[in-house]
Amino acid sequence: MKFRNLLKKELSELITPQAIFSMIFTMVLLIFMGQIMGSAMEEGFDTSEINICNMDNTEFTEKVLSQLEEKGSKPNMVTISGEDYAAELERLDLNSVIVIPEGFADSILVDKKPAELRYVSELGIGFSGTMSSVSASDSVSAILDTATDEILLQTYGMNEDEIARIKEPVQTVEFTTFSGKTANISAMSLSSVLMMQSMIAPFVIFFLLMMASQMIMTAISTEKIDKTLETLLSAPVPRITVLMAKLVAAVIVALLNALSMMIGFFFYMTGMMGNVTDMVQTETTAVAEATGALNIAEAMNALGLSLGVGEYLLFGLQLFVTVAIGLAISLILGALAEDAKSVQNLTMPIMIMVMIPFFITMFMNVNEMSMGIKAVMYIIPFTHSYLAINNLMAGNMLLFWGGFVYQIIFFAVCMFFAVRIFTTDKIFTMTGALSEMFKKQQQPKAKK
Amino acid sequence: MANVLEVNGLTKEYKKGVRAANEVSFSVKEGEIFALIGPNGAGKTTTIRMISTLITPTSGDALVGGYSVVKQPDKVRECITYLPDEAGAYKTMTGNGYLKFMAGLFAKDKAEQEMFVNRAQQMCGLGDRLNEKIGGYSRGMIRKLLLSRAVMTAPKLAIMDEATSGLDVINALDIRRTIKNLAREQGMSFLLSSHNMLEIEYVSDRVGIITGGNLLVTGTIDELKQKYNAENLEEVFELVVNTK
Repeated sequence: MKFRNLLKKELSELITPQAIFSMIFTMVLLIFMGQIMGSAMEEGFDTSEINICNMDNTEFTEKVLSQLEEKGSKPNMVTISGEDYAAELERLDLNSVIVIPEGFADSILVDKKPAELRYVSELGIGFSGTMSSVSASDSVSAILDTATDEILLQTYGMNEDEIARIKEPVQTVEFTTFSGKTANISAMSLSSVLMMQSMIAPFVIFFLLMMASQMIMTAISTEKIDKTLETLLSAPVPRITVLMAKLVAAVIVALLNALSMMIGFFFYMTGMMGNVTDMVQTETTAVAEATGALNIAEAMNALGLSLGVGEYLLFGLQLFVTVAIGLAISLILGALAEDAKSVQNLTMPIMIMVMIPFFITMFMNVNEMSMGIKAVMYIIPFTHSYLAINNLMAGNMLLFWGGFVYQIIFFAVCMFFAVRIFTTDKIFTMTGALSEMFKKQQQPKAKK
Repeated sequence: MANVLEVNGLTKEYKKGVRAANEVSFSVKEGEIFALIGPNGAGKTTTIRMISTLITPTSGDALVGGYSVVKQPDKVRECITYLPDEAGAYKTMTGNGYLKFMAGLFAKDKAEQEMFVNRAQQMCGLGDRLNEKIGGYSRGMIRKLLLSRAVMTAPKLAIMDEATSGLDVINALDIRRTIKNLAREQGMSFLLSSHNMLEIEYVSDRVGIITGGNLLVTGTIDELKQKYNAENLEEVFELVVNTK
C-alpha cells in the first residue's frame, strides 16, 4: 500500500499537464514535419510540370516535345522575349524555364555542332528549392535523349532497335551482400529503407535516456532542495521503497514518452521517405521482371535484415537495461545536487555519455576505429545500446551479448552505489563533502 | 514520567577531527516540550537529524520510545515525525492531497489514514484552501500545513527544526499555541530547535543550550534564570556562552 501511495505521488509529479502537452506536441510536430517534407519531396520529384519556351518551332523540336509528353510530363508552353530572364520569370510568375533557341534543330542536324539549350531557374533556398532542379535536369536529359535518337536516326540511318541496343549495350544486374549473405537487389534501394530502421532506434534511445535521466535527477534534487526528502525519509517507509517508487515512475513515464516519440518519428520518416521508397520500389519491380531481382521485403529476408519477434524482444530488453543504467547514474548525480543551478551542471556527464556515442555510431563504424578509440567507445555503456539493432540485424550475437552483459555489470555497479547513497546518510552528507572538495581545489589556485 | 527520548553522548564528525555535535546528552519526558537553543551552526540541526534517523552518529546513541536510532531506525521512525527547517511541500499537490499522501505513509489501513487526514484538516485552519495546489500557498500556510502533518499521527515525539522561522508574528503565535496545547492536552512530546530565545521562553518546558557542537547546560527556564541570576533566557544564553 505504501509503495502504491509513493508511486502514485511520483507519477502525479511527473505526469503534469505540461508534460502531457509537450509529449503530444512533439508527436504532432514530428508527424506534421514528415508531411511537409514528404510533400516537398513529392513536388521535387514530380516531373510532370515543366515550362518550355520553344523558339525553334521545327519538326525536330515538335518531336522533342511529344517525346517529353510520352514520358509523362506536361510541357507548359510559354513565350519569352529578350534575355532579361529575371524580369521574364517574374512577369510569367514562374520559377524555371527551358528555352529552346532559334536554330536549335539546324545546329544539330545540319551544322553538326553542339546546339545550345538554355535552362533558367530562380535560386531556391531550402529543401524544396533544391528538389525542383531535379525535375528540370530530368527534362533536360530527356531532350538530350531525343536529340541523340534523332541524330542516330537521321544522320546514321539506324532503325529504332539498333538505337536501343547502342544506347543500352549493357544491362546492370545488381547484387547486394550483407554479413555473408547475397541477394539479387540494388544496395541503393535497400539502404533507403534501412536508413529508416536504423535511424529510429538511436533516436528513441537518445530521447528515452535524456528524458528518463532528466526526470529522475529533477525528482531527487527538488526533493532535496525543498527538504521534502528529509520528511519522506524520516517516515516509517523503507528507503529502498522510496527509491524504487521513483525509479518505477521514471521508467513508466520514460516509456510513455518513448512511445509517443516513436509514433511521431515513425510517421515523420514514412511521411518523408514514403515517396522515395515507393519510387525505388516501382523501379525495382520493373527491372525485377527482366532480371529476376527480388523486391525489398524478399531481399531483407534473404539478407537476414528483417528482425523476428525474438530479436525485437531482445532489443526491447536491451532498451530496458539502457534506461536502467541512465536512471542509476542520474540517481547518483541527483543526490549530489545542492541547488537548482547545480542540477544543470550535474546533467553534463550523462549528456556527454549519451551524445558522443549517438553521433559517432550514426556516422562511423565503431568496429573499424583504432584500438584506443574503440576501447573508449565500448567503455561508454550507451555505445552498446546504439549498436544493438545493427548487431542484431547483422547477426553479430557475440557483440550483442558482450555489450549486454557489460551493461548489466555496469548497471549493477551504479545501482550498488545509488542504493548505498540512499540507504546511508550519504544522501544528506555527500553534498557538503563535495563542495568542500571543490573549495579545497580552488583555494591553492587562488593563492598562486 | 517516563522518558520518550534519551540521548547519550551523540557525536557526529563530518570531517575527521571536526565535530558538529560532541557528546550531546539529554532527555525528553512524556508530554514535555524540550528546546535546543543556540546560534546558527551550533549543532542543533545535526543533533536533530541524528535523532530523526536521517544521519548516522559517529558515536553515541539515542533511544526514542526505547528504540535505538543506530540499531532500530525503522522502529524509531514509527515513533517520530520530523519537520525540517524551511521545508517545502510538493507544489503540484493540493493541501488535501499532500495530507492524504503523508498519512498513507504512517497509517496501517484506510480508516487510520482518514482519521489522520481529518485531524490535520481541523488543526491547520486552512479550510477550503486545502483544495488548492500548494504551489499557490504562502510561507505561513505551508508551515501550518506541515505542522498539522507532523502532529496528525500523534507521534510519541514530534521533532521540529526552527518551527516558526520566517513566519510573521500572528502565524508564529498560532503555531506556538498549537504546540503548547498538544503537549498539555494530548501529552505529545516535542523536541524543538530555535535561535529565537523569546519564542523558546514562551513555548518550552526545558531547554538545552548548545554551541560549537557542545551541549553546555540543560534545565527548566526558571532553574536556569535562577542559576545564572538572569532576567530572561537571552541573558542566560549570553552568560553560559561567555563563561565557557
